[in-house]
Amino acid sequence: MPTSDPVAFLKTVSVFKDLAEPHLVALALRLRERVLKKGEVLFREGDKGDELYLIREGTVVISKPVLGRVEQVLARMGPGDFFGEMSLFDQAPRSATVQAETTALLLCLDRESLHQFIEISPRAAAAFFFQMVQVFTTRLRESGNLVAEVTRWGLEATGLDFETKPSR
Amino acid sequence: MPRQTKIELLIRREADEGFEVRAVPSSLAYLQYRPQRIADSAWELAELPKGIDRRRTYVLKNRATDRYILLRERERFLWAQMDGRTSLQDMATAYVLRYGAFDFDLIPNLIAKLRQAELLTLRPASRLREALARHQKNLGARALEVAFKGLEKITVTSRNVQRNFERLYRWGGLLIFTLPTLVLGLALAVLGAMSAIRLWQDAGEIAGPLAQHPILAVLSVKFFFFATLAAHQTVHGLACVHYGRRVREYGFTLLHGFVPTFYVDVTDIFMASRRARVVTALAGPLVHLYFGALCLWTATHLPFGFLQSFVAATGVLQWQSFLVCLYPFCFLEMDGYHILVDVLGLPTLNKDSWRFFRDELWRRLGEGKGISRQEAIWVGYIVLSFVSVSAFVLFNLWGLTHMGSS
Repeated sequence: MPTSDPVAFLKTVSVFKDLAEPHLVALALRLRERVLKKGEVLFREGDKGDELYLIREGTVVISKPVLGRVEQVLARMGPGDFFGEMSLFDQAPRSATVQAETTALLLCLDRESLHQFIEISPRAAAAFFFQMVQVFTTRLRESGNLVAEVTRWGLEATGLDFETKPSR
Repeated sequence: MPRQTKIELLIRREADEGFEVRAVPSSLAYLQYRPQRIADSAWELAELPKGIDRRRTYVLKNRATDRYILLRERERFLWAQMDGRTSLQDMATAYVLRYGAFDFDLIPNLIAKLRQAELLTLRPASRLREALARHQKNLGARALEVAFKGLEKITVTSRNVQRNFERLYRWGGLLIFTLPTLVLGLALAVLGAMSAIRLWQDAGEIAGPLAQHPILAVLSVKFFFFATLAAHQTVHGLACVHYGRRVREYGFTLLHGFVPTFYVDVTDIFMASRRARVVTALAGPLVHLYFGALCLWTATHLPFGFLQSFVAATGVLQWQSFLVCLYPFCFLEMDGYHILVDVLGLPTLNKDSWRFFRDELWRRLGEGKGISRQEAIWVGYIVLSFVSVSAFVLFNLWGLTHMGSS
């Protein structure tokens, strides 16, 4: 179990904000701490995974390889953010690589613990999933925005101009 | 459009597990962009006579698409540096060093213009190669791409052919471009036509020996035809020399990796007169007309048998080639097309016609507006293209049904 008032921290995480204190205490008992040194890779795209991570301290960078040693930064996350939930639900390999930008303190929740939490507290689990869907929706919108932004970057970088030049 | 978008990239270090995150503005990437012009053999540049303002201007032509663009002296300077190795930043520096000032819209505008004319390398040369490039995850497509790349390397070519062509021209090639040869050739064509009519009456019997040996027939006729393709290209080269221009290259290659063909680079003829260009384009197909006529006339004097069959079939194939080479409309941009665009003075006829037909014509008709003379030529070009292709298809269908019933 993590030290220094984990329940107070869980209240700051969006997906747990609607949970009552007893449920947060029950959940906190299932969390495991992990320290990630600056520059350390937590997992890579394609790795197997069954854990969701909450960031208590520090920042991590989520990236996707594009060319050789170059990767595109998809997101940067800090205290109160969480990641890794996709593999928790779809059981597919990790979709991106996560590394620590600064030394980070993470709290891990594995699939088994989540299932136990759902069985014991179904009402609390419903609130958790409702918040999770909202987070997914927000991230989906952000992904769309990122695609548009990257496309704009590409157009600007290559000087392609479709506004003033007629298509052929 | 403001050039300010940034993209964040994570670059891993080789030495250790570490990395760094860099925010790269699109403007920086644009400066690092290294535009590459298409292969040197695919474009040509000619200086135009100076106008009233005494400024130098150039015409740059994409030989594959027949698109022409005008370049000013300063744009030509930038074009010369688009070798795929020089970044826009380096080009801008070189420009300032040479001209002492810089017009910030010059490079983007030039690049847009060059892209429009497909003078910068952006995509594979053929549609097939383009499709293969799109399906690189498919093992079969990848294997085919590798095979084509390998086959494309089977190119026998020489860029030092001018002296040989000049020698060939002096040793008799010059006779091709005299009036007596033209008269003789036309007389031979008339004789060939009369022979064809005579042969047609016994077509069934004459074709018989070829039908008995189909593989030998196809191989021998095709091989012989292939040899005359070399003659076709050689005469193009001789015409170029006749007008005092330079033959830049002659060779054999597998076009797109699978079409065996001879080729000659006579782009220097574009620096000569219109008449010279038309004669050069026409000279190649005339080889097929004369040779076909000779074959047909010879066939009438041969006894029934494989040889007569072969000679007659060769004659027919040569005349077909003559017609195909001179076919000027859509779908095939061969010698006939180049003659047509030169005569009309519309170098981008094919593309402009299609664009007008696709994007403009129907709107104009809907609005009840008329069309200009040039637009009428574009429409006529499209109509004749469809009519000729339809006639060709119908003729073949008639031929198939006719043969099936006889």
